[in-house]
Amino acid sequence: MNVIITKGIEKTYNPKTIPVHALQGVDLTIKKGEFTAIVGPSGSGKTTLLNIIGGLDRPTSGYIEVGGKDISKLSDNQLIDFRRENIGFVFQAYNLIPVLTAKENIEFIMLLQGIPKAQRDKRTLELLHAVGLDDKINKRPIELSGGQQQRVAVARALASKPAFILADEPTANLDSLSTVNLLDIMANLNMQEHITFVFSTHDQRVIDRARRVVTLEDGVISSDVYVDQ
Amino acid sequence: MLLKIAWKNIWRSKVRSLVVIIAIALGVWAIIFINGLTVGITRAYINNAVNYEISHLQMHHPQYIEESIINYQIREELSDLQEVEGVKAISQRMLANGMISSPKAARGIVVRGIQPAAENAVTHLSDLIIEGEYFGSKARNPIIIGQEIAEKLKIKLRQKVVITFQSKGGDIVAGSFRIIGIYKAKNSQYESMNVFVDQKDLAATNGEKMIHEVAIVVNDINSIDQIQPLIESKYPGTSVRNYKEISPDISLYESQIQVNLIVIIIIIMLALIFGIINTMLMAVLERIKELGMLMAVGMNKLNVFMMIVFETIILGIVGAPLGMLLGKMTISYFETRGIDLSSYSKGMRQFGMSEILYPHLEGNVFIQLAIAVLITAMLASIYPAYKAIKLRPVEAIRSI
Repeated sequence: MNVIITKGIEKTYNPKTIPVHALQGVDLTIKKGEFTAIVGPSGSGKTTLLNIIGGLDRPTSGYIEVGGKDISKLSDNQLIDFRRENIGFVFQAYNLIPVLTAKENIEFIMLLQGIPKAQRDKRTLELLHAVGLDDKINKRPIELSGGQQQRVAVARALASKPAFILADEPTANLDSLSTVNLLDIMANLNMQEHITFVFSTHDQRVIDRARRVVTLEDGVISSDVYVDQ
Repeated sequence: MLLKIAWKNIWRSKVRSLVVIIAIALGVWAIIFINGLTVGITRAYINNAVNYEISHLQMHHPQYIEESIINYQIREELSDLQEVEGVKAISQRMLANGMISSPKAARGIVVRGIQPAAENAVTHLSDLIIEGEYFGSKARNPIIIGQEIAEKLKIKLRQKVVITFQSKGGDIVAGSFRIIGIYKAKNSQYESMNVFVDQKDLAATNGEKMIHEVAIVVNDINSIDQIQPLIESKYPGTSVRNYKEISPDISLYESQIQVNLIVIIIIIMLALIFGIINTMLMAVLERIKELGMLMAVGMNKLNVFMMIVFETIILGIVGAPLGMLLGKMTISYFETRGIDLSSYSKGMRQFGMSEILYPHLEGNVFIQLAIAVLITAMLASIYPAYKAIKLRPVEAIRSI
C-alpha cells in the first residue's frame, strides 16, 4: 500500500527575483512500513521534499498524494487538520512545548484530536513505555536530556496514530548513545507495529539503519536503493 | 488544555508578566480612585448646593424667576404644604435685593428674611456660623452675614450695618441691623451674596410681610420627580422647580465630570492596551518556533489565536482584582477620613466644593471595570494573536 506518492514535484524559491530550484521533478513512492532515509548534501532539497510531503510547504508544480489524498488541493486550514490526523513530525530541535510535562506534550496532540481522557491517558502511558521514559512522565523538557526529549518527540509523533512519521535530521543534536537508543526505538516501532518512517539525514548511523536510502542531488533523485538489513 | 498552556505560558517570563500585571493593577486602581474621587466630588457638590443653599425644590411666583422684584410674591395659602407626602421641611422666605453698607464700604446683596427655626431645618444655617451665634438672642434687628461680606465691608461681629432696598410701594427703605453671626458657606459666591435677617424685622422695614420663595426638603432625593408634580397641582399659581432646574450648573457639572472621567478611563485603558500589546507581541515573537511547531503538528489557527487571547485575558484577570482590591482599600480609607484639600479651599469654595473630599464608590463600578478590563485585554490580544496565526509553520520552525 502506497502511503506517499509524488510525481514531478518541483519547488522553486524566489521565482520572480533570483530563482532557486530546490526540487526539479521528484518522483517518489513510499509504501507502508518502509524505513526510508532521504540523504544528500546540504542544499540538495531533502528538507524541502520532507516539508512538501508533510504538507508544511506547497510544491511549485507536480502531484503529491499522501494517505490516498491529493494534498495540493487542500487549503491551509485543511492542511493543518490533515497533518494532525495523518502525519507525525519529529524535528531536529525536538520542539516540545516547554511548559508542559512529557505526558502533557504527548497528550496534547490527542487532545487536539478530541480523544477522551481515559483513552489519552492509556495511550500516553503506552507510548512513554515504548520510548523507555516511564519514569519521566511528569518531567518538563528542561529536566530531560536531548535524547530523552527526542524520544518524547517520537512518542508525541506517534500519539495521533499517523499514517507515517517524518523526521527531519532527528539525530543531529544527539550524542552517539542517544542516537543509537533513538534509532533502536524507531526501528522496533517500524518492525513490530509497521509504522512508516521517513527521515532526512546526514547522519551515517541513521543511513546505516535505513532499509531504503533515497539520495537527492541538486533537487533530483540520483539514487534510490533498498538495503537488506 | 489551552487555558492550562496559556496559564503556564504567562509564567515563562515571570518578571515581564508581573510588570504587566502590576501595570494593569495600577491602571485599575487609578480608575477606581479617580472614579471614587469623582463620585465624592459630585456628591459633595450636589449635597452642598442642596443641603445648604437651594434645597430640593423651590416655589416662586412665576414672574419672580424672570425678574426678582419684591412685588412678585406667593399669594397661596401654604399652611398645608408641610402635609404633602414626602415633604420633610419647608422654609418660607421673604427676599429683597438691596445694599448692605458699613461705615467703610457697601455692596449689593440679597436679603433673606427667614423664620429662623424653619430655615435651619432646611439649610442648616446654624452649622455654618463661625463667629457669633444663630438667631435666638434678644438682640434687636439681628443679621447674619457671610465671612466674605464681613471682610469686604471691614466689619466685625456686633457692629451695625444698614440694609437698603426698594419696598413694595417703590420707596427706598432702610434698616439698621446688628451683626450677631458670621457664616462661612460651602460656596464663597453664595456667601458673598446673601445675608439673613429675621422675617419679622424685614417685614417691618418693608411695611408688609411677603413670601417670595419657599424652599422644600424632601425625605428622599429620588422621590423629587413624584413630589414636584404633586406640589405643582396643589399650588397652580406658583412655579415649582427642582434643584437641577434651579441650578442647571449642577447637571452641567455632573455631566462634565462624567465626561472627564470617561476621558481619563479611556486614556488609562489605551495606555494599558498598548502596554499589553507590547508584552504579548514580545511573547509571540520569542515563541515563533514553538508556535510554528504547534501549527505543524495540527493545532489549528483558531486554537493558536485563542491561546494568545487566553494568555492576555489571564494577565487581566490576575491584575484587575489586585487593582480592584487596592482601589477598594484606598477608597475605604479615605471615605471615612477624607482627603484634606484645605490648602486649595479658596479656589474650591468658589465652585461650591468642600475642603475635605470623601471619595465614594458605587457598587456597580467593579462590574463595569471587570467588563472594561476584559474588553481591553481582548482588544490588546488581537494584534499579537493575529501575528501568531500569520506565521508559516515551515518558516517558523526554522527560526532561531
